[in-house]
Amino acid sequence: MSVAPLKLPFLTEEQVRVTSQSLGEPAWLLDERLDALGRVGRLPAESNQLFTPYLDLRQVRFADVDPYAPAARPRPQAATDLEGAAALLHVDEDGIVERVLGPEAAAAGLKIGTFGDVPSDSRQLLRTWIGDGSTLPSDDAFAQVARAAFTLGIVVHVPDGVRLERPIVLRSTLGAAGRGLIVRTLIVLGEGARASILEEQLPAADGTPHDPQAAQSLWWGTSEVRLGDGASLDVASIQDFGAGTVAIVNRDARLGRDAALRWSLASIGSLFHKSRIDNRLEGRGSSVHQVEIGFGSGAQIFDLTSYTRHIGEDTTGDLLSKGVFLDRSRGYIKGLIQINQTARGTDSFLGEFSMLLDRKARSVTIPSLEIDQPDVRRAAHSSSAGPIDESQVFYLMSRGIDRETARKQIVLGFLEPVVSRVPLARAQEHLRELLEQKWPATASAPTAETQTAA
Amino acid sequence: MTSTRDAVRDRRDEFAFHDDLIYLHEVKRGLTRATVEEISALKNEPDWMLQFRLRAYEHFLKRPMPLWTDGLDKINFDKIVYYRKPSEREEKSWEDVPEQIKDTFERLGIPEAERKFLAGVGAQYDSEVVYHSVKEELTKLGVVFMGTDQALIEFPDIFRKYFGTVVPPEDNKFSALNSAVWSGGSFVYVPKGVEVPLPLQAYFRINGENTGQFERTLIVVEDGARVHYIEGCTAPIYATESLHVAVVEVVALARSKVRYTTIQNWSNDVYNLVTKRAHAYEDSTVEWIDANTGSRKTVKYPSIYLRGRGASADIISVAVAGKGQHQDTGAKAVHLAPDTKSRIVSKSVSKDGGRATYRGHVKVAPGATNVVASVRCDALMLDDESRSDTYPYIDIQEDDTSLSHEATVGKISQDQVFYLMSRGLTENEAQNLIVQGFLEVFTKELPMEYAIEFNRLVKLEMEGALG
Repeated sequence: MSVAPLKLPFLTEEQVRVTSQSLGEPAWLLDERLDALGRVGRLPAESNQLFTPYLDLRQVRFADVDPYAPAARPRPQAATDLEGAAALLHVDEDGIVERVLGPEAAAAGLKIGTFGDVPSDSRQLLRTWIGDGSTLPSDDAFAQVARAAFTLGIVVHVPDGVRLERPIVLRSTLGAAGRGLIVRTLIVLGEGARASILEEQLPAADGTPHDPQAAQSLWWGTSEVRLGDGASLDVASIQDFGAGTVAIVNRDARLGRDAALRWSLASIGSLFHKSRIDNRLEGRGSSVHQVEIGFGSGAQIFDLTSYTRHIGEDTTGDLLSKGVFLDRSRGYIKGLIQINQTARGTDSFLGEFSMLLDRKARSVTIPSLEIDQPDVRRAAHSSSAGPIDESQVFYLMSRGIDRETARKQIVLGFLEPVVSRVPLARAQEHLRELLEQKWPATASAPTAETQTAA
Repeated sequence: MTSTRDAVRDRRDEFAFHDDLIYLHEVKRGLTRATVEEISALKNEPDWMLQFRLRAYEHFLKRPMPLWTDGLDKINFDKIVYYRKPSEREEKSWEDVPEQIKDTFERLGIPEAERKFLAGVGAQYDSEVVYHSVKEELTKLGVVFMGTDQALIEFPDIFRKYFGTVVPPEDNKFSALNSAVWSGGSFVYVPKGVEVPLPLQAYFRINGENTGQFERTLIVVEDGARVHYIEGCTAPIYATESLHVAVVEVVALARSKVRYTTIQNWSNDVYNLVTKRAHAYEDSTVEWIDANTGSRKTVKYPSIYLRGRGASADIISVAVAGKGQHQDTGAKAVHLAPDTKSRIVSKSVSKDGGRATYRGHVKVAPGATNVVASVRCDALMLDDESRSDTYPYIDIQEDDTSLSHEATVGKISQDQVFYLMSRGLTENEAQNLIVQGFLEVFTKELPMEYAIEFNRLVKLEMEGALG
């Protein structure tokens, strides 16, 4: 079912050429786009035979969407309060509306801008970073769509040895019916650099309630992460797009020697959210810690895939995905750990856990392993699915908490591992609020079940 | 690790032999509609079976080759002989079995095994069941144990009622192939409330270069009845590929208990592509105890569809993948009814460049409330030439399911080897013992004779592998 190529009415060679031209791109970058376009035409929507039955695009109407053309120059910026962040980049609908560097970041040499902002004498630098499609999986049709058709390219560059204490905030707001943004984000940390990034993906500010009949909106993005030797990066993400938005993201990370990456990713919003993460542990001693949660309700679908490839010796992968599904929502949590023959001394764990809170909800978990090197410290995976543990509910009720509150607290506790890793107290609080709001309002009224229990 | 490897002989050849014998019927190589019609005509089958075969044949042609596992494109379907009949009729008495065939069985040790405690023997020599003996007491109890072809004639009603209902031809490309050209296999019928006191055993064996073996087994166990069925395989080694495509259907009716044990040790040129499935009705129990040590490539996931309330499923799958082998095995439990339980335990060993793959599926369908399911997969890799994969699929559509899944992959612990060596074992003996211990979850479920044989088999495999 998913072996056919993606059908995207908006993706044409003419459109790709027009985009490249209006951005004034060099020839090699146009060639990158055309190479990607060719791949989209040839690749099946899901190229991994293991996962082909588990890509469910039935709710997605790509034909609804007319993606934005490249935006004009950034609009004038108001003085923005950084609220404790080192820097802020805000993209609203089609383009950048705010870009603020705090004094610490500016002094340290942090660079945040578009692909076009990379100074012309260092254009070759951009090419070394993203040339030959090296920052995105070549076999993934969704990643190649971004590579072919992006209208905004963002670069975050933390030079060698720069250590930022405060987080960099990358904010996206989007939701105009029938429109979409295709955006690439490149995050490069030099040797020994250290940074944290908070991604906030929020619905359009107008606050109009979602009309299911209206055209869908689309956010199609990437995080392309390159970590130099000894670099350390934390990425926290809160995806809370509106109910009419389709959100697709590829995150691709390559790690140098002793580099460390921590992903803390929360998916709450959108109608359909597809995320694929590729971690490549190339450098000896590199490590990735990944916690990912999805909290679905209504007809939401969360398609959360992660690939972790151990290549260097003594690398560590610690991956945890958790899903909570209400109503008719569905989660497809797919993971593959590959331990190459070269990767002696690997420590790898993959956990996929889901909690179904309604009879119509569905959870598919596929925690897979492919191992070519037995000399490991650990290679294991674990998975579970189940309802809320009644003995935990009973315990909390015995402490005087009512049933519904107990259930809610258990679910929030299940998701807490991600919440506690979000930088900035304000963002952490925001995420807690979003998760609490997700809890069905009707459930706070006593139901037949709670009455009998009480 | 490889330093002393050459010093230990791989003795597998001793189990690989073949006899030159004259086949009474042999259809032409390759598969056409005429082949299917010829097989059916040779067997004097009723028309419905011919129609069933033809429907399956059409589906086989249409169905694409599965792509989720590799290497199947190497099978040349045109080079296979789809039907051979080595002797004219089924033999009831050992004395009547042709001398040459008997000799092969002697070398496999069947008569000894039978003398000990076998309840019945159905030995498949190529495509027909040539020898059958069911202890009289079983016949008195109404238990039927015979070749599938014979059952089609002698028990047409019950046969037609269940045949192809558990694994329809359209299930997959290879069930379609089997349905088109099937021949031989066992038919077991256990009437209501009857407990078969001893395991029923069938010894399967391929002989003849490029002989396809397409056996078809159907086991029907009535309300409250119990049976244990055991099959084991050996086959001679040949240079070109052999193909074994079997279908096993088990119908476990209410409150029955069925255990099906397999020791698969085909020679290393055989493609072993098997669809095994059971339907478990109310409060019944089905157990697949499945070990795979032989073949070039095995694709087999014993499955249980839990269709009745309170049914339970237990699957133990063991695989040993050596040089040039790919064991693509696993298990499936599909929960279709409330209060059903399943447990899957998988153990694999890969060595000398072999590849062991666990592929499993646990599905809880809407309506199947209060399900408890667990999966446990452990893999042992003996060297870094080998490969181990784990692909578990867990699809839950009921909110009160309790499911757990765990998997680990590792190598033999040097601490354990050191400990055993300090107690006077050689390194090789220590490693043998650890591997046998690792597989014990399977071995302990076997009747004693089989357990001994299986441990010997593992030891032989290990002697070729370790030093």
